Parts: sequence; C-alpha cells; structure tokens
Amino acid sequence: MSLLEIRDLSIAFTTTSRPLPVVNSLNFAIQEAEVFGLVGESGCGKSLTALAIMGLLPENARAEGTLSFRGRDLLTMHKESIRRLRGKEISMIFQEPMTSLNPVLTIGYQISEVITTHLGFSNKDAMERTIELLQAVKIPSPEIRVNEYPHQMSGGMRQRVMIAMGIACNPSLLIADEPTTALDVTIEAQILDLLGTLREERKMAVLLITHDIGVIAENADMAAIMYAGRIMELSNVSTVLENPKHPYTIGLLDSLPKARGIPLKPIKGAVPKPDALPDGCKFSDRCPFMITECLKEEPRLREVSPGQWARCIRAEEISWESSRQ
Amino acid sequence: MGTLHKGGRDFVGIIEAIELKKYFPVGKGPFARHGWLKAVDGVSFSARSGTVFSLVGESGCGKSTVARLLLRLTPPTSGRILFKDQNVIDLKGDSLKAFRKSVQIIFQDPFASLNPRMTIFDTLTEPLKIHKLARKSEFEERVVSLLRGVGLQDEVMNRYPHEFSGGQRQRICIARALAVSPEIIVADEPLSALDVSIQAQILNILQDLKQRASISFLFISHDLRVVQYFSDEVAVMYLGKIVEHAKADELFGQPLHPYTSVLLASAPKIKPGGAKRTVLKGDVPSPIHVPSGCPFHPRCPQRFTPCDTKEPRLEEPASKGYKERQVSCHLWNPF
Repeated sequence: MSLLEIRDLSIAFTTTSRPLPVVNSLNFAIQEAEVFGLVGESGCGKSLTALAIMGLLPENARAEGTLSFRGRDLLTMHKESIRRLRGKEISMIFQEPMTSLNPVLTIGYQISEVITTHLGFSNKDAMERTIELLQAVKIPSPEIRVNEYPHQMSGGMRQRVMIAMGIACNPSLLIADEPTTALDVTIEAQILDLLGTLREERKMAVLLITHDIGVIAENADMAAIMYAGRIMELSNVSTVLENPKHPYTIGLLDSLPKARGIPLKPIKGAVPKPDALPDGCKFSDRCPFMITECLKEEPRLREVSPGQWARCIRAEEISWESSRQ
Repeated sequence: MGTLHKGGRDFVGIIEAIELKKYFPVGKGPFARHGWLKAVDGVSFSARSGTVFSLVGESGCGKSTVARLLLRLTPPTSGRILFKDQNVIDLKGDSLKAFRKSVQIIFQDPFASLNPRMTIFDTLTEPLKIHKLARKSEFEERVVSLLRGVGLQDEVMNRYPHEFSGGQRQRICIARALAVSPEIIVADEPLSALDVSIQAQILNILQDLKQRASISFLFISHDLRVVQYFSDEVAVMYLGKIVEHAKADELFGQPLHPYTSVLLASAPKIKPGGAKRTVLKGDVPSPIHVPSGCPFHPRCPQRFTPCDTKEPRLEEPASKGYKERQVSCHLWNPF
C-alpha cells in the first residue's frame, strides 16, 4: 500500500458567483521513504494540494476526492483526528522561514511544544529532545541556540529550525513547500543536503514542491509536472528530464539558459487565469505542437511508455530532440 | 581586455567604479553608533561599452548597493564613479539630467516599480516629456514602437498596470527604460520575480537589445545559469568586496577563487544522478562583523595559515597564463 494515495482530488474556491476550480482531478501516490517532486509555476495549484493534505485549506476552498493516508481518508476524517495527525505523522515546512516562526517565542519553546503536544513529554524531557533535534539539523552549539529568538538567526538557520520542528515526531511524510526558494544558492545546497540525509536516516517520505526543475533533478525519485491544476507528466525523475513527453515539460527544460548566446526557446504567452482556461487541452494555447484535435476534449493522463504518464494526445510523436531544431 | 583597474588611467569603459565605498552607520540612535555596516568596501571595476558586465553574489554581498551608487540614487561614502570619464558625483543641472537619460534601471519587482495610477501610455511618455525627446503629436507612434519592441500589442497602452501579469509588467519596465534611448541599463535581478517560462522570454528580449541596439548592461543576479548565458564579464562579490573578476568564459570554465568554485558547484544542475553539489559550511557572516584576514576564510575549504590574519588583494594571479583576470586569494598570490 502506498503511504499517501491521492485519487481524483479537486479543489475549488467558492466565489460569489460560481465555484472557481483550481485543482482538477489530481491522481498520484507517494510510497514510503520516497522523495516525490511536484513541479510547477506559480498558480498551478501545487501549494493548495499540499495544504489539502495537511487539512489546512483556506475557509473558502473546497476539496473533493480521496486523500488516502495509510488507508485513512484525510478529507473525511474528523477535525480532531487530523489535528492529532498533523505535526506527528505528516508535517510541513514552508517557503518563508521568517513568517512561519513566532517572533516572540524562543525556538526551543516552539520546537518542544510539538513534542509535549503530540508525544506527551514533560517540558524538561522535551527540551532535551529539542537539543538533539537541533543537533540533527546541524545547528552549531544547540544548548545556547535553544534559548534564542528567530530574529537572532539567519534565513538558513531558521529553515533548519523549521525542519527540526517538522521532524520532531518522526513523521512518515514531510511536505516541503519551496523550502529553499527564499535562500541563497550555497544555503540552498546545505538545506537540500540536510533533507536528503534526514530522509535516509529516518526513512520518511518527502513531498518536495518546487518551481525549479533543478531542485528535483538532484533530490527526488519521482516527479509530477503540474500545469493549470492538472498533472501534465508523471514519471521517475530521470525519465522526465531525459525523455520528456509532454510539450510543457519540454518547454520548461528549454527555458533554462544553456551555453552562451544560443537563443532560448521560451514557452510563448503566460499562464492563463484559472477562470479563463482554453477548451480541450489546457496547455493548447501555448503549445507549439497544437493541432485542432487538441481543442476538442481534454486529453487523459495516460501511460505513454512503461512508468511514464503524460496528458497529451501527441506524446508518441514528439520528443525533446525534435523540439530543439 | 584592458578594463581591469590597475590604479592608472589606462582603461576604457562606459561606466567605472573606482575604490567605491558605502558604509551605513549601525547602532541605537544617532548618538550611540556602534560601528559601520560596510555594504560596499573598495569596489573598482569598469564596464565596457556594448557588453554585459555582471555582478554576482549572495544576498547581502553589496551588489544592489553598487547599482544604486552607480545610478547616483545614494551617495557613496568615498570613491569615484566615472561615466564616460565624467565624475558622476559632481554632476549638476543639465549634465545630471543627461546622465539620467543615458543610464536607466530595471528593478527586480515589476509589481512595485510601475505607478498603479498611470496608464501604460502615461508611464511610457513621462520620460519623453521630461527629457523633451518627442513632440506631443509623436507620442503615440513612439509608444507603439516601444511596446512592439518588447513584444506587446498596441492596445495595451490605455490599460493600467494591475491588468498585467508579472512578465508583461517587466516588459513594460523594459520599454520605459528604452524610451529615452539609454546607453547602459542597470538590471537589478530583473528575472527573479518571474516564473521559469517567463524568465526565458525576458532574457531573450534583453539578449536582443544587447545585440541589435548595442546597449550595455550592468546585470545583477544571483542565478548563475542566467549570468553564464548573458554576460561577457563577471565580478563575484562577497561581503562588499570583489573577490574575483574575469571574462565570463574564463570564470565559468576555470574559477580561481574558492568562493567562486563553491558558488558554481552549488548551482542546481538538471542532469539527474550527476555529481552532487558541493556543500559549503556555515552562513555568510554579518557585514557588521567582517572576519579578519580574508573575509571568506571561516567558510573556505582551502584556507591555510595567513588567511585568517592577512587580507589578500584583488590582483592578477602570480602564475603565468592568467592574464587579464583578477582574484583576491592567497592561493594565487602568495607572499
């Protein structure tokens, strides 16, 4: 059984006029101890998917479908049971470590709160455990650092604190939503390295959400490419990067700067608003391979080669090489 | 290359910084100054006409402050800025206005750098009015050609900034910079607020301007893939100082300074299963408490005895074969 199986997840915002769908029948599964990369540009619904798993969707958003975590459906579960699960079995770290820590509490208090709440430790034991956790995330002199406040730490250190909080109860799934986007490259490398080590040591699965295809290349096992609330391509990472079958994946890879002076091949146009998506294939208005067939109905996400899924009717005809001319 | 500053006046450049320093006082209140934050500490370089000169470094290294100094948006603590051999600090009146026309800027955040109450037409004609570059009857024609130059339709001119996406706004910002036909554009992280697929579109526009309109660029970025793609010459900054300066091909082909090597190795690669990134220990120290000796020594994987006490100078490496590039490291310039 998969650790987390997402079946037909749809999320819509309720507006005054009509519901605005932002995530549309998403299907994927995360296995135990696997790093699953979810890649997409802003507004594609990747963060909302994470929030749905955490049971933290905003008031005006409604989710449908099944989020089966070890056989239990997170969407229909009682609020109180979700609260007990969250932070213990599933935890999350966010993009901006500055705004996700409480500025008026010491980091020691904030981490030990997780341990006393979920594991019932005494304050003293929890503080000892906190120091061990700070050691595990490689924060130097943790005995001193536990008594510091978030403003006394750098961005990279704060993200380490967030990770320490995330792994405090040995969760089976850690959701990392753009964990390194706010950080410098040398710090990004440190944090990704740390996440990799912790995952090995603790055998936890990681849902790594990012806009940077380079981040998943080095760190993930599986990758799903999202666009307009849908998965466009799903496969293991090396297949996605070496033999992409969806024009959007190809467009993303071609947008990365290569050798000097070679003109880039950007994806034309801009990401459409969720209430103004084209008919048929949602990428058709920006796709260089578009034919009239594409506008008739939306393609299914189908297996185009063993283990590789793509939502494109022309997936067999196109290859990355043919788009490079 | 002839552009490296060697203390003399034997170089030609469109814009030059000479021993530029910018210190900010830090402390509680005006009477209790504890010290100085040395945002820019003795930076010298010269950007050649028609080329792209890039400043790279992590946040807080002073690269944006250098841009603000060059544009005279903030006065330097000491040092000189030369624009076509004129000292920018001394400019007044008409000559200052002429300088402002020749040097334009594109900012990082296109959501914060357009006036929300001005239509695109007003935004693009304001510089024409200020610099008296066109008669009123010619405005529409000019705006149309500016918009087409950045790949936007004519009809957008009557709309307001909130109607546009980030990528479109950045195109408008570029059109506004081009309205006065500048000689050099300072681009401070022009891509980092944009999505990946849009970044490539904007980068293609900039590349096109460089080639067709032969505009020079001072390009500031932390994204090394973009810098490698777009630059002719690169200076790497760390804690307010330039630690390495070379032609882009040479710098990316063979980085000399250990910090440059680490920076290049830290950048994400899209080859799966390729070499793991080099992971550097520690954070960038606070620019208020710069380490003694070489500012990079606490994090440097190759440090040795003199590094923590003696500060290296930015100079050509002593060993042969490294002409026309500079590095500030004891490995290359032993004493």
